[in-house]
Amino acid sequence: MTPLLQIDDLTIAYRLADGSGFQAIRDYSLTMAPGEIVGIVGQSGAGKSTIGKAVLGLMGENATIEAGRIRLSGHDITRARDVEAIRGRKVGYIYQNPMTALNPVLTIGEQLLESIVTHTGRRGAAARAYAVELLEQAEVPQAAERLSKYPHQLSGGLCQRIVFAIAICARPALLIADEPTTALDVTVQKAVLATLERMARKEGIGILLITHDMGVVAQMCDRVQVLRRGELVEEGATRQLLLHPAAAYTRQLMAAIPPMDRRLDRFDVIERQADSPGRERGIAYLRTARDGFAPSGSALLSVRGLSKTYPAPPRSGQDAFVALKDVSFDVRAGEVLGIVGESGSGKSTIGRCILGLQQPDAGAAITFRGRSLQPGRRDRAALARSLQCIFQDPYSSLNPRMSAAVNMTYALVAHGLVAARDARRLAGDLLEVVQLPRDAAGKMPHAFSGGERQRIGIARALAFRPELIFCDEPTSALDVTVQAEVLNLMKDLREMLGLTLVFVSHDLAVVRQMCDRVLVMSKGEIVEAGAADEVLLRPRHAYTRDLLASMPRMAET
Amino acid sequence: MTEPQVPRFAGWRAIFRGHALPTAGLVGMGLFLALALLAPAIAPQNPYDQMQLNIMDGLLPPMTQTMDGRIAYLGTDSLGRDILSAVLYGLRISLLVAVVAVAAGITAGVLLGLVSALRGGWIDALVMRAVDLTVSFPGVLLAIMLLAIFGTGVDKVIVALAIGIWAQTARVVRAVALTEMQRDYIAAARLGGISEWRIMLHFLLPNSITPVLVLLPMAISGAIVAEATLSFLGVGVPITQPSLGLLIANGNEYLLSGKWWISMIPGLVLVAMVLCVNVVADRMRDHANPFLRAKD
Repeated sequence: MTPLLQIDDLTIAYRLADGSGFQAIRDYSLTMAPGEIVGIVGQSGAGKSTIGKAVLGLMGENATIEAGRIRLSGHDITRARDVEAIRGRKVGYIYQNPMTALNPVLTIGEQLLESIVTHTGRRGAAARAYAVELLEQAEVPQAAERLSKYPHQLSGGLCQRIVFAIAICARPALLIADEPTTALDVTVQKAVLATLERMARKEGIGILLITHDMGVVAQMCDRVQVLRRGELVEEGATRQLLLHPAAAYTRQLMAAIPPMDRRLDRFDVIERQADSPGRERGIAYLRTARDGFAPSGSALLSVRGLSKTYPAPPRSGQDAFVALKDVSFDVRAGEVLGIVGESGSGKSTIGRCILGLQQPDAGAAITFRGRSLQPGRRDRAALARSLQCIFQDPYSSLNPRMSAAVNMTYALVAHGLVAARDARRLAGDLLEVVQLPRDAAGKMPHAFSGGERQRIGIARALAFRPELIFCDEPTSALDVTVQAEVLNLMKDLREMLGLTLVFVSHDLAVVRQMCDRVLVMSKGEIVEAGAADEVLLRPRHAYTRDLLASMPRMAET
Repeated sequence: MTEPQVPRFAGWRAIFRGHALPTAGLVGMGLFLALALLAPAIAPQNPYDQMQLNIMDGLLPPMTQTMDGRIAYLGTDSLGRDILSAVLYGLRISLLVAVVAVAAGITAGVLLGLVSALRGGWIDALVMRAVDLTVSFPGVLLAIMLLAIFGTGVDKVIVALAIGIWAQTARVVRAVALTEMQRDYIAAARLGGISEWRIMLHFLLPNSITPVLVLLPMAISGAIVAEATLSFLGVGVPITQPSLGLLIANGNEYLLSGKWWISMIPGLVLVAMVLCVNVVADRMRDHANPFLRAKD
C-alpha cells in the first residue's frame, strides 16, 4: 500500500536577517498510512509547525528545502509548482486560532460556500445543502442557522468546528492540524478533539497533529513523534511511547507535565542551581522584610461583596456585563490560594480589582491586614511594598525599552527605597535568585526567551519584598518544560521567603501542584471553595466535575 | 508563539546599507545642510547687504562676468543680486523654518498625544476634537488663515506650520500609546507606584515614538514645500529674509521673458532638496513596515 504521506530526510533552512543560515529541520523522516493519526510533539521552536507548512508549501520566503523529499500518495510534492491543487483539495489545514483563521467580515456560509465552490464544483442549492451536511458532520448544532452568522457571534469552539468543516469540504486525504485546541478552553477542548477524531475515522482521513500537549496526543493519536530542535528524538505507538519513553528527552518532557492525581514537591527537570555570593545576598535582601509579615495563618487579605459590572454601551440595547457577582473570600498569610475557571469566569478581574488596576462596583470591601484598600485613595508607594503581581504574558510585561536591571529596580529607585548606585548590584543579585546569570542585567527584554522574561517578571515583583503576590496565569504562555522550571522556582521561593500567593490558572493540574486552597469560579461567581485536595479530587459542584472531566489525561491510555 | 512586532528603530547603518538611492539622498541632505550652515562663509556676496549690490549687474545670465570682474555662476536678478548667494541664504531660511516648525509641532503633538492617551476622559475629548478641527482644513489654507490673523514673519510662519503638524502627530502617538497602555508593563509600573508623569516619559514615550521618527523626514519635506508655497503666495517670510519660495516668486515675472534662471535655479534647488529628504523618508517608512520588509 502506498503511504499517504512520506517524508524522507527532510532538511529545511531559514535565512536569517544577518545573512547566516539556520537549519530548522534536519534529516526528518515520516511515513503515514492512510487514515492514520500521527502526533508531532516538542517544545516551541522545535520545528513542528515548519513540517506542517512544508507539506503545503506555505513556508516563508526565507525558508528553503535543502534536502529530502515529501511525497503525498506517491506523488513528489517537495517543490511542486501547482500547490493550489494540493492545498484544500488533497490536504486540509487547521489553524491554531479559529478566531483569526476565519474572515471576520464574511458570514460562515459565505466562507464555507467559497471553499465548496472552489474545490468541489457544487453550486447553488447543492452547495448549500452540502455546507449544512459538512457542519452537521463537524457536530455544529443548528447547522442551517449558523450559515448566516459571523465568526464573532460564535464561540471559539464552534468557530474551530467551522474551520474543520471548511478543511474537509474537498474530502482531503490528509489534514494538518497545528495546535488545533491550544487557543480553546479546557472545557471545550476535549469535545472538539473528539469531533475531529470521529470525522477523520469516518472518512478515513489521516491527521498530522502538531501539539505541545501530551494530553492531546494521548487522547487522539495512533503514533507519536518527539521532535527536539529540528531533529526526531523518538517515534512510536502512542501508548508505548507515553508509558515507556526510551529517549531521555522524552522522559524529561513527561516529567514536566503536572500530574493530577498527586502533588509533587518539585518537578523532576534538570536545573542549574549553584549557590553564589550574589544569590545569597539576594535571598538575604528578600528575607529582611519577612519579620514584618503577618503571622502565618492569620487573614492577610479579605474580600467582601466584590462585584464588577461593565455597563453596556449607551443605546446599544445590550445588557450590562456582570464580570464578578458578590465575591467574598479571605487569603491567609503563608498560603497559596488558587483561583480556577474558564476564560471569562472573572478570575483575572478579581486580581485587577484587588491590585487597584480596576474600580470595583460600589459596596465592595477589600482589606489588607485590617486596613481598607480604598479605590483611588491609596498610597501607591506603600501599597507597592505589600501587593505585587506576576503577569500572564511575558512578552508584554516588561518595558521593551529598559534593560532587565532597570525593569526590575526602576520603581524602587523612584521611591528612594534603593540608592541608584546600588540598584545594579541588587538587580544582579535578584537575577541570581531567579536563576538567571548575573550579567543578564544589562540586556534588553527582547534578548530573553519567554521563560527567562517570566523569571525577570518574578524578580521584579519580589524586589518590592511584598507580602502577597498575585500570579495571573504565570505559566500559561510557557512551554511545559519551561512551566515546570518556573513552577519549581516559585515553589522554592515560597518556601524560602514565606510568600503568600494568589495563583490564578485555568490549568487544574498546575493548581493542584501549587495551591493549598482553591476557589472555583464560573460566570463571575465562586461555585466551590475548599482545600485543594478536597475540591480537585472530590468535587461537589457539577461545574467543578465538568472542568475536571474535560481535562485531557494520560492515564486514560 | 511570539507576536510579530514592529521592529525597533535600528541604527542608521542597518537602515541604509544596500540601498543606493536612499544613501545618496542622505548624503544630499547632509550636503544641503552643510551649504545652509556655511552660507555666510562660502557665498560670493551677502545678498542682504544693499551696498554689495550693483544695479548695473541686473539680469545677467549664468556664467557671465559682473562689473567688478567676478563670474556670476548662476546669474543675477533684476537688482543685480547674485543668484548663487541668494539661493545659499534662502536655503538657510527654508531649512530653519522647516526644522523648527517640525520640531515644535512634533514635540507638542507627542506630548498632547501621550497626555490624551494617559488621562482619557474630557482631556482626551478636548485634544482629539482640536485635532479634528485642525486637520479638517487643508494645510496651506490653514496656514494662510493663521498668517492673515498673526501677520507675516519668520516666527509666525513657523507657528503656522507647527499648528498643521502637531495634529497628525498627536493622533498617531495617541493611537500607539493607547495600545501600549493595554500592555502589562504599564500595569506593572502602576503597581510599583510610579507617578503618571514618569510613566508617560519613561514607559509610554519610548515605546510610542517609533512611528513619529518614521514620519519625521516626511514632515520636514512637507514643511519645506509648505513654507515655499506660503512665501510664493506672499504670505510667508518677509522680503528682507527671502527663502527659496520667495526667490521663486521674485523671478516669476521674468520667467516668460527668457530670464529663466531667476526662478528656475531656486526652484531646482528646492526640488533637489525635497527629493533627497523624500527618498530617505521612503526608506525609513519601508524599514519600519515589516510587511514590505519581508519582500526585499
